[in-house]
Amino acid sequence: MRSPSCFDIVITGVGVTSAIGQGKAEFLPALLEGRHRFDAMRRPGRQLPALSRDEMPEAGQAFGFIGAEIPALPIPESIPRSLLRTASFSGQVALATLHEACEDARLDKVAPERIGLVVGGSNVQQRELIQVHDAYRGREQFLRPTYGMSFMDSDLCGLCTEAFGIRGFAYTVGGASASGQVAVLEAIHAVESGRVEVCIAMGALMDISYWECQGLRSLGAMGSDRYANEPALASRPFDRDRDGFIFGESCGVVVIERLESAQRLERPPYARLSGWAMGMDANRNPNPSIGGEVAAIKAALERAGLSSMDIDYINPHGTGSTIGDVTELESIRQCGLGHAYLNATKSIIGHGLSAAGVVEMIAILLQMKEGRLHPTRNLENPIDSSFKWVGRQAVSHTIENALNLSMGFGGVNTAVCIQKYS
Amino acid sequence: MSKEKIFEIIVRHTREVVPRLEDHQFQPSDSLRALGANSVDRADIIMMTLESLALNIPLIEIAKADNIGELAGIFHEKS
Repeated sequence: MRSPSCFDIVITGVGVTSAIGQGKAEFLPALLEGRHRFDAMRRPGRQLPALSRDEMPEAGQAFGFIGAEIPALPIPESIPRSLLRTASFSGQVALATLHEACEDARLDKVAPERIGLVVGGSNVQQRELIQVHDAYRGREQFLRPTYGMSFMDSDLCGLCTEAFGIRGFAYTVGGASASGQVAVLEAIHAVESGRVEVCIAMGALMDISYWECQGLRSLGAMGSDRYANEPALASRPFDRDRDGFIFGESCGVVVIERLESAQRLERPPYARLSGWAMGMDANRNPNPSIGGEVAAIKAALERAGLSSMDIDYINPHGTGSTIGDVTELESIRQCGLGHAYLNATKSIIGHGLSAAGVVEMIAILLQMKEGRLHPTRNLENPIDSSFKWVGRQAVSHTIENALNLSMGFGGVNTAVCIQKYS
Repeated sequence: MSKEKIFEIIVRHTREVVPRLEDHQFQPSDSLRALGANSVDRADIIMMTLESLALNIPLIEIAKADNIGELAGIFHEKS
Protein backbone atom coordinates (compact mmCIF):
# COMPACT_ATOMS: atom_id res chain seq x y z
CA MET A 1 0.00 0.00 0.00
CA ARG A 2 1.27 3.45 -0.80
CA SER A 3 2.07 5.57 2.17
CA PRO A 4 2.90 8.80 0.44
CA SER A 5 5.37 11.14 1.97
CA CYS A 6 4.02 14.57 2.88
CA PHE A 7 7.18 15.96 1.42
CA ASP A 8 9.05 15.78 -1.84
CA ILE A 9 12.45 14.26 -1.17
CA VAL A 10 15.25 15.42 -3.45
CA ILE A 11 18.95 14.99 -4.02
CA THR A 12 20.92 18.23 -4.04
CA GLY A 13 24.54 17.11 -4.08
CA VAL A 14 26.72 14.25 -5.23
CA GLY A 15 30.30 13.09 -4.76
CA VAL A 16 31.90 10.13 -6.46
CA THR A 17 35.27 8.43 -6.54
CA SER A 18 35.96 5.43 -8.72
CA ALA A 19 38.67 3.78 -10.77
CA ILE A 20 37.53 5.72 -13.84
CA GLY A 21 37.52 9.12 -12.24
CA GLN A 22 37.32 11.22 -9.11
CA GLY A 23 34.47 13.68 -9.10
CA LYS A 24 31.43 13.86 -11.34
CA ALA A 25 33.28 15.90 -13.97
CA GLU A 26 35.63 12.97 -14.60
CA PHE A 27 33.18 10.19 -13.84
CA LEU A 28 30.42 11.01 -16.35
CA PRO A 29 32.55 11.31 -19.52
CA ALA A 30 34.39 8.10 -18.61
CA LEU A 31 31.05 6.34 -18.12
CA LEU A 32 29.66 7.58 -21.41
CA GLU A 33 32.79 6.51 -23.25
CA GLY A 34 32.91 3.15 -21.46
CA ARG A 35 36.49 3.73 -20.29
CA HIS A 36 37.65 1.13 -17.79
CA ARG A 37 40.66 0.27 -15.63
CA PHE A 38 40.25 -3.48 -15.16
CA ASP A 39 43.56 -5.26 -14.60
CA ALA A 40 45.24 -7.61 -12.14
CA MET A 41 44.80 -5.89 -8.78
CA ARG A 42 48.07 -4.55 -7.39
CA ARG A 43 47.17 -2.78 -4.17
CA PRO A 44 49.19 -4.33 -1.32
CA GLY A 45 47.14 -6.95 0.49
CA ARG A 46 45.03 -7.91 -2.55
CA GLN A 47 47.38 -10.49 -4.02
CA LEU A 48 47.77 -14.04 -2.87
CA PRO A 49 50.97 -13.90 -0.80
CA ALA A 50 52.15 -17.38 -1.75
CA LEU A 51 52.50 -16.44 -5.38
CA SER A 52 54.64 -13.70 -6.78
CA ARG A 53 53.84 -12.09 -10.09
CA ASP A 54 57.03 -13.54 -11.53
CA GLU A 55 55.86 -17.10 -11.15
CA MET A 56 53.84 -18.72 -13.86
CA PRO A 57 50.66 -20.13 -12.39
CA GLU A 58 50.02 -23.79 -12.91
CA ALA A 59 46.89 -24.81 -14.76
CA GLY A 60 43.85 -23.92 -12.72
CA GLN A 61 45.92 -22.07 -10.11
CA ALA A 62 44.87 -18.60 -9.09
CA PHE A 63 47.58 -15.95 -9.46
CA GLY A 64 45.57 -13.08 -8.18
CA PHE A 65 42.37 -11.20 -8.75
CA ILE A 66 41.09 -8.91 -11.45
CA GLY A 67 39.56 -5.61 -10.45
CA ALA A 68 39.46 -1.88 -11.06
CA GLU A 69 41.54 0.15 -8.61
CA ILE A 70 41.59 3.91 -8.04
CA PRO A 71 44.85 5.07 -9.68
CA ALA A 72 45.41 8.19 -7.56
CA LEU A 73 43.55 9.99 -4.82
CA PRO A 74 44.04 13.76 -4.68
CA ILE A 75 42.84 14.94 -1.27
CA PRO A 76 41.46 18.48 -1.02
CA GLU A 77 43.75 20.86 0.89
CA SER A 78 40.99 21.77 3.32
CA ILE A 79 41.04 18.29 4.87
CA PRO A 80 43.38 18.35 7.88
CA ARG A 81 46.59 16.36 7.32
CA SER A 82 46.44 15.28 10.96
CA LEU A 83 43.24 13.34 10.18
CA LEU A 84 44.71 11.71 7.09
CA ARG A 85 47.71 10.27 8.94
CA THR A 86 45.65 7.65 10.69
CA ALA A 87 42.76 7.38 8.24
CA SER A 88 42.43 4.09 6.38
CA PHE A 89 42.20 4.09 2.60
CA SER A 90 38.41 3.74 2.94
CA GLY A 91 38.46 6.74 5.27
CA GLN A 92 40.58 8.86 2.93
CA VAL A 93 38.33 8.06 -0.03
CA ALA A 94 35.29 8.87 2.13
CA LEU A 95 36.74 12.28 3.01
CA ALA A 96 37.63 13.15 -0.59
CA THR A 97 34.22 12.04 -1.88
CA LEU A 98 32.25 13.76 0.85
CA HIS A 99 34.16 16.96 0.16
CA GLU A 100 32.77 17.04 -3.38
CA ALA A 101 29.20 16.39 -2.21
CA CYS A 102 29.36 19.09 0.50
CA GLU A 103 30.64 21.63 -2.03
CA ASP A 104 28.10 20.51 -4.61
CA ALA A 105 25.18 20.92 -2.20
CA ARG A 106 26.68 24.01 -0.56
CA LEU A 107 26.17 22.49 2.86
CA ASP A 108 27.91 25.42 4.53
CA LYS A 109 24.48 27.09 4.41
CA VAL A 110 22.95 24.46 6.72
CA ALA A 111 23.25 24.46 10.51
CA PRO A 112 25.67 21.66 11.52
CA GLU A 113 23.15 20.32 14.06
CA ARG A 114 20.64 19.83 11.22
CA ILE A 115 22.92 17.62 9.13
CA GLY A 116 23.01 13.82 9.49
CA LEU A 117 25.30 11.20 7.97
CA VAL A 118 24.58 7.55 7.21
CA VAL A 119 27.55 5.48 6.08
CA GLY A 120 26.57 2.35 4.17
CA GLY A 121 28.90 -0.61 4.61
CA SER A 122 30.22 -3.06 7.18
CA ASN A 123 33.78 -4.36 7.52
CA VAL A 124 34.94 -1.85 4.96
CA GLN A 125 38.63 -1.75 5.99
CA GLN A 126 39.59 -5.41 5.76
CA ARG A 127 42.70 -4.97 3.57
CA GLU A 128 44.03 -2.25 5.81
CA LEU A 129 43.51 -4.39 8.91
CA ILE A 130 45.36 -7.41 7.58
CA GLN A 131 48.22 -5.13 6.59
CA VAL A 132 48.46 -3.97 10.20
CA HIS A 133 48.18 -7.53 11.55
CA ASP A 134 50.94 -8.72 9.25
CA ALA A 135 53.19 -5.79 10.16
CA TYR A 136 52.86 -6.27 13.93
CA ARG A 137 52.53 -10.03 14.26
CA GLY A 138 55.05 -11.16 16.88
CA ARG A 139 55.64 -7.62 18.18
CA GLU A 140 52.12 -6.73 19.14
CA GLN A 141 53.30 -4.50 22.01
CA PHE A 142 54.24 -1.85 19.44
CA LEU A 143 50.86 -1.74 17.73
CA ARG A 144 49.91 1.91 17.16
CA PRO A 145 47.35 3.00 19.76
CA THR A 146 45.21 4.57 17.03
CA TYR A 147 44.39 1.06 15.81
CA GLY A 148 42.16 0.81 18.90
CA MET A 149 39.74 3.31 17.36
CA SER A 150 40.40 3.11 13.64
CA PHE A 151 39.58 -0.59 13.23
CA MET A 152 35.87 0.18 13.67
CA ASP A 153 33.81 1.13 10.63
CA SER A 154 32.34 3.93 12.69
CA ASP A 155 35.76 5.61 12.45
CA LEU A 156 34.53 6.81 9.04
CA CYS A 157 31.71 8.62 10.85
CA GLY A 158 34.23 10.19 13.21
CA LEU A 159 36.55 11.26 10.40
CA CYS A 160 33.76 12.72 8.28
CA THR A 161 31.92 14.53 11.07
CA GLU A 162 35.16 16.09 12.34
CA ALA A 163 36.37 17.15 8.90
CA PHE A 164 33.03 18.66 7.86
CA GLY A 165 31.65 19.78 11.23
CA ILE A 166 28.58 17.54 11.11
CA ARG A 167 26.73 17.59 14.44
CA GLY A 168 23.31 16.05 13.79
CA PHE A 169 23.90 12.31 13.90
CA ALA A 170 26.10 9.74 12.19
CA TYR A 171 26.11 5.97 12.10
CA THR A 172 26.87 3.04 9.82
CA VAL A 173 24.39 0.60 8.29
CA GLY A 174 25.10 -2.72 6.63
CA GLY A 175 23.21 -4.56 3.92
CA ALA A 176 26.06 -6.35 2.11
CA SER A 177 26.06 -5.20 -1.54
CA ALA A 178 22.87 -3.25 -0.92
CA SER A 179 24.49 -1.21 1.89
CA GLY A 180 24.63 1.94 -0.20
CA GLN A 181 20.92 1.88 -0.95
CA VAL A 182 20.13 0.97 2.66
CA ALA A 183 22.02 4.14 3.63
CA VAL A 184 19.92 6.13 1.15
CA LEU A 185 16.70 4.71 2.63
CA GLU A 186 17.86 5.62 6.15
CA ALA A 187 18.71 9.14 5.00
CA ILE A 188 15.29 9.52 3.38
CA HIS A 189 13.61 8.50 6.64
CA ALA A 190 15.74 10.98 8.57
CA VAL A 191 14.69 13.97 6.46
CA GLU A 192 11.12 12.77 6.06
CA SER A 193 10.67 12.54 9.82
CA GLY A 194 12.28 15.93 10.37
CA ARG A 195 15.06 14.47 12.49
CA VAL A 196 17.49 16.50 10.41
CA GLU A 197 17.08 18.96 7.58
CA VAL A 198 19.73 17.41 5.37
CA CYS A 199 21.02 13.87 5.46
CA ILE A 200 24.10 12.60 3.67
CA ALA A 201 24.09 8.99 2.48
CA MET A 202 27.45 7.41 1.71
CA GLY A 203 28.24 4.12 0.04
CA ALA A 204 31.67 3.54 1.58
CA LEU A 205 34.59 2.03 -0.30
CA MET A 206 34.80 -1.60 0.76
CA ASP A 207 38.53 -2.21 0.87
CA ILE A 208 38.70 -5.98 0.52
CA SER A 209 41.87 -8.03 0.96
CA TYR A 210 42.92 -11.22 -0.79
CA TRP A 211 41.07 -13.12 1.94
CA GLU A 212 37.72 -11.62 0.94
CA CYS A 213 38.58 -12.01 -2.76
CA GLN A 214 39.39 -15.68 -2.25
CA GLY A 215 36.23 -16.25 -0.19
CA LEU A 216 34.01 -14.49 -2.70
CA ARG A 217 35.60 -16.40 -5.55
CA SER A 218 35.27 -19.74 -3.75
CA LEU A 219 31.65 -18.93 -3.14
CA GLY A 220 31.18 -18.52 -6.88
CA ALA A 221 30.25 -14.86 -6.54
CA MET A 222 33.47 -13.25 -7.78
CA GLY A 223 34.70 -14.06 -11.27
CA SER A 224 37.24 -16.82 -11.80
CA ASP A 225 40.61 -16.90 -13.60
CA ARG A 226 38.86 -17.35 -16.91
CA TYR A 227 39.82 -13.87 -18.08
CA ALA A 228 43.15 -13.67 -16.22
CA ASN A 229 44.98 -12.90 -19.44
CA GLU A 230 42.30 -10.57 -20.76
CA PRO A 231 41.17 -8.56 -17.73
CA ALA A 232 39.27 -6.09 -19.91
CA LEU A 233 36.82 -8.87 -20.77
CA ALA A 234 36.19 -10.08 -17.22
CA SER A 235 33.37 -7.77 -16.10
CA ARG A 236 30.42 -8.72 -18.30
CA PRO A 237 27.05 -8.40 -16.61
CA PHE A 238 24.15 -10.04 -18.43
CA ASP A 239 26.44 -11.62 -21.04
CA ARG A 240 26.30 -15.37 -21.66
CA ASP A 241 30.04 -15.67 -20.97
CA ARG A 242 30.00 -14.05 -17.52
CA ASP A 243 31.17 -16.07 -14.54
CA GLY A 244 30.94 -13.72 -11.58
CA PHE A 245 31.33 -10.12 -10.51
CA ILE A 246 34.57 -8.19 -10.83
CA PHE A 247 35.49 -5.91 -7.94
CA GLY A 248 35.89 -2.18 -8.44
CA GLU A 249 36.94 0.37 -5.84
CA SER A 250 34.44 3.16 -5.48
CA CYS A 251 32.66 5.46 -3.07
CA GLY A 252 29.55 7.54 -3.59
CA VAL A 253 27.82 10.26 -1.60
CA VAL A 254 24.39 11.81 -2.13
CA VAL A 255 22.90 14.71 -0.19
CA ILE A 256 19.21 14.20 0.56
CA GLU A 257 16.69 16.73 1.81
CA ARG A 258 13.11 17.93 1.46
CA LEU A 259 12.33 20.00 -1.60
CA GLU A 260 11.22 22.94 0.56
CA SER A 261 14.63 23.00 2.23
CA ALA A 262 16.43 22.88 -1.12
CA GLN A 263 14.28 25.73 -2.44
CA ARG A 264 14.70 27.83 0.68
CA LEU A 265 18.47 27.49 0.50
CA GLU A 266 18.43 27.91 -3.29
CA ARG A 267 19.95 24.57 -4.14
CA PRO A 268 18.72 23.10 -7.43
CA PRO A 269 17.81 19.43 -7.07
CA TYR A 270 19.30 16.76 -9.30
CA ALA A 271 16.14 14.69 -9.08
CA ARG A 272 13.27 13.65 -6.87
CA LEU A 273 13.27 10.37 -4.97
CA SER A 274 9.69 9.31 -5.63
CA GLY A 275 9.51 5.78 -4.26
CA TRP A 276 11.60 3.30 -2.34
CA ALA A 277 11.37 -0.07 -0.70
CA MET A 278 13.38 -2.70 1.08
CA GLY A 279 12.50 -6.32 1.74
CA MET A 280 14.19 -9.48 2.91
CA ASP A 281 14.07 -13.01 1.52
CA ALA A 282 14.32 -14.60 4.98
CA ASN A 283 17.40 -16.35 3.60
CA ARG A 284 20.87 -16.04 5.07
CA ASN A 285 22.60 -17.26 1.91
CA PRO A 286 23.89 -15.33 -1.12
CA ASN A 287 21.33 -16.65 -3.60
CA PRO A 288 18.80 -14.06 -4.81
CA SER A 289 15.07 -14.59 -5.23
CA ILE A 290 12.60 -13.46 -7.86
CA GLY A 291 9.91 -13.13 -5.21
CA GLY A 292 11.99 -10.78 -3.07
CA GLU A 293 13.12 -8.63 -5.97
CA VAL A 294 9.65 -8.37 -7.47
CA ALA A 295 8.18 -7.40 -4.10
CA ALA A 296 10.73 -4.60 -3.62
CA ILE A 297 10.23 -3.25 -7.15
CA LYS A 298 6.44 -3.28 -6.88
CA ALA A 299 6.50 -1.64 -3.46
CA ALA A 300 8.80 1.13 -4.71
CA LEU A 301 6.59 1.75 -7.76
CA GLU A 302 3.48 1.82 -5.61
CA ARG A 303 4.99 4.27 -3.20
CA ALA A 304 5.98 6.47 -6.14
CA GLY A 305 2.48 6.26 -7.57
CA LEU A 306 3.93 4.97 -10.83
CA SER A 307 2.96 2.13 -13.12
CA SER A 308 5.65 -0.05 -14.65
CA MET A 309 5.09 1.71 -17.98
CA ASP A 310 6.18 5.00 -16.42
CA ILE A 311 9.71 3.68 -15.89
CA ASP A 312 11.87 4.36 -18.93
CA TYR A 313 15.31 3.42 -17.60
CA ILE A 314 16.60 0.82 -15.14
CA ASN A 315 20.02 0.80 -13.55
CA PRO A 316 20.01 -2.79 -12.30
CA HIS A 317 22.20 -4.46 -9.71
CA GLY A 318 23.71 -6.40 -12.67
CA THR A 319 26.90 -7.80 -11.21
CA GLY A 320 27.80 -10.52 -13.72
CA SER A 321 26.81 -13.20 -11.24
CA THR A 322 25.68 -16.40 -12.91
CA ILE A 323 22.44 -16.71 -10.95
CA GLY A 324 21.96 -13.08 -9.97
CA ASP A 325 21.72 -11.66 -13.48
CA VAL A 326 19.16 -14.24 -14.65
CA THR A 327 17.09 -13.74 -11.49
CA GLU A 328 17.14 -9.98 -11.88
CA LEU A 329 16.04 -10.04 -15.53
CA GLU A 330 13.18 -12.36 -14.71
CA SER A 331 12.13 -10.07 -11.86
CA ILE A 332 12.20 -7.06 -14.17
CA ARG A 333 10.13 -8.97 -16.73
CA GLN A 334 7.57 -10.09 -14.16
CA CYS A 335 7.16 -6.47 -13.07
CA GLY A 336 6.28 -5.46 -16.62
CA LEU A 337 9.45 -3.44 -17.08
CA GLY A 338 10.80 -5.14 -20.18
CA HIS A 339 10.28 -1.98 -22.24
CA ALA A 340 12.73 0.18 -20.23
CA TYR A 341 16.31 0.88 -21.24
CA LEU A 342 18.88 -1.17 -19.32
CA ASN A 343 22.63 -0.76 -18.95
CA ALA A 344 25.11 -2.08 -16.40
CA THR A 345 27.38 0.41 -14.64
CA LYS A 346 29.41 -2.45 -13.14
CA SER A 347 30.59 -3.40 -16.63
CA ILE A 348 32.61 -0.16 -16.57
CA ILE A 349 33.57 0.44 -12.93
CA GLY A 350 33.23 -3.05 -11.42
CA HIS A 351 31.28 -4.00 -8.33
CA GLY A 352 31.82 -1.59 -5.46
CA LEU A 353 29.98 -3.85 -2.99
CA SER A 354 28.93 -1.46 -0.18
CA ALA A 355 29.40 1.55 -2.47
CA ALA A 356 27.49 0.18 -5.46
CA GLY A 357 23.99 1.38 -4.56
CA VAL A 358 25.02 5.01 -4.16
CA VAL A 359 27.55 5.16 -7.01
CA GLU A 360 25.00 3.71 -9.42
CA MET A 361 22.39 6.17 -8.18
CA ILE A 362 24.83 8.95 -9.04
CA ALA A 363 25.29 7.36 -12.48
CA ILE A 364 21.52 7.69 -12.94
CA LEU A 365 21.47 11.33 -11.82
CA LEU A 366 24.33 12.31 -14.12
CA GLN A 367 22.85 10.44 -17.10
CA MET A 368 19.51 12.10 -16.38
CA LYS A 369 21.15 15.52 -16.47
CA GLU A 370 23.14 14.71 -19.60
CA GLY A 371 20.29 13.09 -21.54
CA ARG A 372 22.44 10.12 -22.47
CA LEU A 373 22.76 6.53 -21.27
CA HIS A 374 26.19 4.96 -20.89
CA PRO A 375 27.17 1.80 -22.78
CA THR A 376 27.34 -1.68 -21.31
CA ARG A 377 30.78 -3.19 -21.83
CA ASN A 378 31.25 -6.79 -22.94
CA LEU A 379 27.57 -7.37 -23.62
CA GLU A 380 28.31 -9.43 -26.69
CA ASN A 381 25.66 -12.10 -26.27
CA PRO A 382 22.97 -10.95 -23.85
CA ILE A 383 21.40 -13.77 -21.86
CA ASP A 384 18.12 -12.34 -23.09
CA SER A 385 18.21 -10.11 -26.14
CA SER A 386 14.55 -9.12 -25.87
CA PHE A 387 15.42 -6.41 -23.31
CA LYS A 388 16.15 -2.86 -24.41
CA TRP A 389 19.91 -2.95 -23.80
CA VAL A 390 22.27 -0.05 -24.17
CA GLY A 391 25.09 -1.94 -25.85
CA ARG A 392 28.48 -0.80 -27.07
CA GLN A 393 27.55 2.81 -27.67
CA ALA A 394 25.96 5.40 -25.44
CA VAL A 395 22.48 6.43 -26.54
CA SER A 396 20.61 9.69 -26.24
CA HIS A 397 17.62 9.39 -23.96
CA THR A 398 15.78 11.74 -21.66
CA ILE A 399 15.13 9.88 -18.43
CA GLU A 400 11.79 10.75 -16.85
CA ASN A 401 11.54 7.95 -14.29
CA ALA A 402 14.41 5.63 -13.44
CA LEU A 403 14.51 2.54 -11.27
CA ASN A 404 17.64 1.70 -9.30
CA LEU A 405 18.08 -1.80 -7.84
CA SER A 406 20.45 -3.30 -5.30
CA MET A 407 20.65 -6.76 -3.78
CA GLY A 408 22.84 -8.10 -1.02
CA PHE A 409 23.87 -11.41 0.48
CA GLY A 410 21.52 -12.51 3.20
CA GLY A 411 18.42 -11.86 1.12
CA VAL A 412 18.48 -8.05 0.95
CA ASN A 413 16.41 -6.42 -1.83
CA THR A 414 16.14 -2.66 -2.32
CA ALA A 415 14.59 -0.53 -5.04
CA VAL A 416 14.45 3.24 -5.51
CA CYS A 417 12.49 5.27 -8.07
CA ILE A 418 14.17 8.45 -9.26
CA GLN A 419 12.11 11.07 -11.05
CA LYS A 420 13.38 13.91 -13.20
CA TYR A 421 12.93 17.20 -11.41
CA SER A 422 11.45 20.00 -13.42
CA MET B 1 71.95 5.32 22.77
CA SER B 2 72.53 8.83 24.09
CA LYS B 3 69.74 10.88 25.63
CA GLU B 4 70.24 13.47 22.87
CA LYS B 5 69.75 10.86 20.17
CA ILE B 6 66.57 9.64 21.88
CA PHE B 7 65.34 13.24 22.03
CA GLU B 8 65.86 13.48 18.25
CA ILE B 9 63.84 10.29 17.71
CA ILE B 10 60.95 11.69 19.77
CA VAL B 11 61.08 14.93 17.76
CA ARG B 12 61.07 13.00 14.47
CA HIS B 13 57.98 11.05 15.45
CA THR B 14 56.28 14.16 16.82
CA ARG B 15 56.75 15.88 13.47
CA GLU B 16 55.36 12.82 11.73
CA VAL B 17 52.26 12.73 13.93
CA VAL B 18 51.69 16.50 14.11
CA PRO B 19 52.77 17.80 10.68
CA ARG B 20 52.20 21.45 11.57
CA LEU B 21 55.20 21.22 13.95
CA GLU B 22 57.52 20.57 11.02
CA ASP B 23 59.33 23.89 11.48
CA HIS B 24 59.12 24.07 15.27
CA GLN B 25 62.45 24.36 17.09
CA PHE B 26 62.01 21.67 19.73
CA GLN B 27 63.43 22.16 23.21
CA PRO B 28 63.66 19.57 26.02
CA SER B 29 61.28 21.76 28.02
CA ASP B 30 58.55 21.45 25.36
CA SER B 31 55.41 19.65 26.47
CA LEU B 32 53.69 17.53 23.81
CA ARG B 33 50.33 18.52 25.23
CA ALA B 34 51.19 22.23 25.11
CA LEU B 35 52.36 21.80 21.52
CA GLY B 36 48.85 20.66 20.61
CA ALA B 37 49.32 16.90 20.46
CA ASN B 38 46.09 15.33 21.69
CA SER B 39 45.97 12.18 23.82
CA VAL B 40 45.85 9.86 20.79
CA ASP B 41 48.72 11.74 19.11
CA ARG B 42 50.80 11.46 22.30
CA ALA B 43 50.09 7.75 22.59
CA ASP B 44 51.18 7.22 18.98
CA ILE B 45 54.36 9.30 19.43
CA ILE B 46 55.34 7.29 22.50
CA MET B 47 54.59 3.95 20.83
CA MET B 48 56.52 4.90 17.69
CA THR B 49 59.49 5.89 19.85
CA LEU B 50 59.33 2.64 21.82
CA GLU B 51 59.25 0.76 18.51
CA SER B 52 62.26 2.69 17.19
CA LEU B 53 64.16 1.91 20.40
CA ALA B 54 62.87 -1.70 20.53
CA LEU B 55 61.99 -0.91 24.11
CA ASN B 56 59.24 -2.73 25.98
CA ILE B 57 58.38 -0.91 29.18
CA PRO B 58 55.10 -0.37 31.07
CA LEU B 59 53.40 2.76 29.72
CA ILE B 60 52.60 3.86 33.28
CA GLU B 61 56.30 4.70 33.73
CA ILE B 62 56.12 7.19 30.89
CA ALA B 63 53.18 9.04 32.42
CA LYS B 64 55.57 10.70 34.90
CA ALA B 65 57.18 12.80 32.16
CA ASP B 66 56.10 16.43 31.97
CA ASN B 67 58.06 17.33 28.86
CA ILE B 68 60.03 15.83 25.99
CA GLY B 69 63.33 16.10 27.85
CA GLU B 70 61.96 14.08 30.77
CA LEU B 71 60.48 11.58 28.36
CA ALA B 72 63.88 11.15 26.71
CA GLY B 73 65.39 10.70 30.16
CA ILE B 74 62.99 7.87 31.05
CA PHE B 75 63.61 6.12 27.74
CA HIS B 76 67.37 6.55 28.22
CA GLU B 77 67.20 5.11 31.72
CA LYS B 78 65.27 2.03 30.55
CA SER B 79 67.23 1.37 27.37
